Amino acid sequence: MGKGRYLIKRFVYIVFVFFIISILMFAIYKAMPGDPVVMMLGDIQSSMKPDAYQALYEQTKEMLGLNQNVVVQYFVWIGNMLTGDFGFSTQYKREVIQIIGAPMTNTIMLNLFAMVVVFLISIPLGIATAVRKNGVFDKAVQVLTIVGYSIPAFIIALLAIFAFAVKIPIFPISGLKTAGSNAAGLQEALDMLWHMTLPVLVMSVSGIGGITRYVRAAMIDVLRMDYIKTARAKGLREKTVIYIHAFRNALIPIVTITTWWIIGLFGGSIVIESVFLIPGLGKMLIDSLMQRDFSVVLTMQMFYVVLSLCGNVLMDIAYTVVDPRVRLEN
Amino acid sequence: MPKKEKRAPRRSTAAKAAQRMVVGGLPQEEEEVLQSPLQMVVHSFLRDKVAMTGLVLFLVIFLCCIVLPFFYPIDLYYQDVTQANVAPGFSMLNVPSKLSGNAQQLSVGSTFSVGIDKDGNVYEWGTFPTDKLKNIPSTSETGKLTMISAGLDHVVAANEDGQIFTWGNDRMGLASIPLELRSGGNDIKQILAGYQISLALTEDGEMYNWGSDYLLSITYPEGVQGNIEKFAASTNIVMVLTKDGEVVPLTGKTSAYTAIPEEIQGNAVDLALTDESAAAVTSDGRVYTWGNNIKGSLNIPEEIQGQVASISGGRYHFTAILNDGSAVSWGDNTHGQASAPAVSEKIAEVDAGYYANYAITESGKVVSWGLKGYLMGTDAFGRDIFRRLLVGGRMTMTVGAIAVIISSIIGILIGGISGYKGGKVDNLLMRLAEIVSSIPFLPFCIILSSILGNSISETQRIILIMVILGVLSWPGIARLVRGSVLAEREQEFVTAAKALGVKEFGIIFRHILPNIVTVIIVNATLDFATCMLTESSLSFIGFGVNEPNATWGNMLTGAQNGTVIENYWWRWVFPASVLGICTISINCIGDGLRDAIDPKSKER
Repeated sequence: MGKGRYLIKRFVYIVFVFFIISILMFAIYKAMPGDPVVMMLGDIQSSMKPDAYQALYEQTKEMLGLNQNVVVQYFVWIGNMLTGDFGFSTQYKREVIQIIGAPMTNTIMLNLFAMVVVFLISIPLGIATAVRKNGVFDKAVQVLTIVGYSIPAFIIALLAIFAFAVKIPIFPISGLKTAGSNAAGLQEALDMLWHMTLPVLVMSVSGIGGITRYVRAAMIDVLRMDYIKTARAKGLREKTVIYIHAFRNALIPIVTITTWWIIGLFGGSIVIESVFLIPGLGKMLIDSLMQRDFSVVLTMQMFYVVLSLCGNVLMDIAYTVVDPRVRLEN
Repeated sequence: MPKKEKRAPRRSTAAKAAQRMVVGGLPQEEEEVLQSPLQMVVHSFLRDKVAMTGLVLFLVIFLCCIVLPFFYPIDLYYQDVTQANVAPGFSMLNVPSKLSGNAQQLSVGSTFSVGIDKDGNVYEWGTFPTDKLKNIPSTSETGKLTMISAGLDHVVAANEDGQIFTWGNDRMGLASIPLELRSGGNDIKQILAGYQISLALTEDGEMYNWGSDYLLSITYPEGVQGNIEKFAASTNIVMVLTKDGEVVPLTGKTSAYTAIPEEIQGNAVDLALTDESAAAVTSDGRVYTWGNNIKGSLNIPEEIQGQVASISGGRYHFTAILNDGSAVSWGDNTHGQASAPAVSEKIAEVDAGYYANYAITESGKVVSWGLKGYLMGTDAFGRDIFRRLLVGGRMTMTVGAIAVIISSIIGILIGGISGYKGGKVDNLLMRLAEIVSSIPFLPFCIILSSILGNSISETQRIILIMVILGVLSWPGIARLVRGSVLAEREQEFVTAAKALGVKEFGIIFRHILPNIVTVIIVNATLDFATCMLTESSLSFIGFGVNEPNATWGNMLTGAQNGTVIENYWWRWVFPASVLGICTISINCIGDGLRDAIDPKSKER
């Protein structure tokens, strides 16, 4: 089976999974207590005549499409979702699509920065420890990585705030903008970077811990292989052996774990966003749950689902790229 | 190379053990060189220093969380603002040695105490809620002080000329002493620093109050002012004892406090209040209590009736002096404040306040009992962090353990069936696993616990969290079990079992499972740490276990801002470090177990 057909098969499968999860989400959405119409109308009930309120109630219900049966509602909803109509936010009194742009940019930027930091540190570190296996350096890094992935992100966040915002106040504690600043262009970007430093640092720690260990384990497995001996016997330089011959072969397990980690990273950034009060998707999700603004909640949830499925697709593509042997029958 | 030499014999033991696993029992004479696989695992685990340290640390934390709550019981619903944000330490009852032996009067404040000696020198000790308390006026300014009283965060004192002084918290009008008291010349009979209020009584029976009376809303009934003998105050009410021996509440509202027993009216000689109840001593030495019986403050010991001379009240306890000069306490005994010690000398005076008592004997010696301090300080609601840490640990570990048990059971079932059956069943189950692991974990947990958790009780909510964690985290263990079953099912013993006619279910779970149980244990250990982390993250952002139940995660919720992180370090350092140490230990144990079970992985 060719790569193309394999990828198409995977893609169809992932679309299938998407629908399954979306049905699940919709079911949960329907199962929750409380009348969304009453919630949306708020407390105007007390200030209106009962029959006028009833009329408004029916009107709103119709506007939200709640007077149809559940199956129709699901298809209407998923159709809207796929065409970019994410519903109406009861909290902001605006279309969801209009309000999720900025938080999404913030979250994606935050996570991208964290990813870059993690890869820049953990891959060279993992390779270096694998090469110096069982040395003092390796042992020290091993202990540090266990500590790194064992401690929950919010504790690292508290420590980081204590160290870099309270004891040595060089970074801001919260937000993405200096309050009242109206800087533009480069100045604004720098201000944002400065605000993002601590969250990115905190998010990187557990990633560095986990990925370094995986890179190391994968590299050690590969370095034991006969073709490495052959490469060395040919008289290749050690650098070439490690970075070209060994590392490329170690990439497959690394790709797998990295994909899972990236998906987890977006989920985990909910905690970080709530600690550092970053106006991102996670904070929006929490706020919307508190306000019971379920159009936003569902949109967020679908975003995370799509993200995780995209991760799976990317993982499949990455497999075929890093390993030419992959034909992956099943 | 010495390294290789070291490894060589180990590998041979492993090989022999592996051989023994397959071949079965070997002749007796080789027994001493050989170890059973389990012995080998244990041996190798015991030699792993990191894993052993982890095991010891984890066991210590685990045992503390299981055993210590019996010795340090906790009322989860208890809150007390007067004890909020107290720093760790046990200095609250450290009476200065200069004062003991020469004490004139002592007074218990919220978390600190004050005292004056017979020469009018002021002493302060304990944990100070505000640094302003250290600005004690100089002796040249005050003259000889004769009376002192400590409140929530301020002190009131009177000198022999009847002048009143105050220091500590000066907001809410606490600093604006009435003019006639500031200038002196009155004979002050009693002073009291309360909760954001100060009270003073002159010999003429005239009462003054300044500060915030928002909580107390003092109203003087007709004819009381000018006829007051003694007063008592709690955070809820002020009551006075008139010169005619009547108890009068200074409030317009009826409550449990105002249900004063009729038989004491006109007959009362002393009066004391706790936060929830009141007590009065009659002239025949009997104690009468009324109010809400919270923490047993109404349960007067029968044997003291008829012998009581005077009484004093703390936050939830009373202390009485008997006619023979001994002290008896009853009521809340969480901090030992109701365990009055036996004193050889006669007690002249007792001051009970908040959670402690000071007794001054006739020779001026000071005896104290009650709250010494908090090992790990208190949080914003005045709850003891140490006690919450213990029950919180129990909660965090229980949630983690049950979640792991749920996920392991599902994972073993699905992985076992999938690996053994193969084909379509395998395909279906593994696709299911893929779907579950595609669900974004943390967002999904948050949504489920917030949507489903709203309409159920707190206990059901905790169970829900366990189930959510368990049901969402089985795919990992299912894949692992499936892989191991795939490898094992081609072994001879499976063929033998099949030939003997053992049912499929029996083959998977009775014959194959014991062979892969070690792998499962390792994975469950590592999953346990992950589940604890997830639970505490959820609780931290408020979607897991909620207040008043404690977990290590939600204890840190209040520590999210810079002020708390900087000023109240004990509120986050202790829960954070225990949680960190615990998860690091579990991960070390898991890693050590894996290395011990699979000697090949040690080479990684």
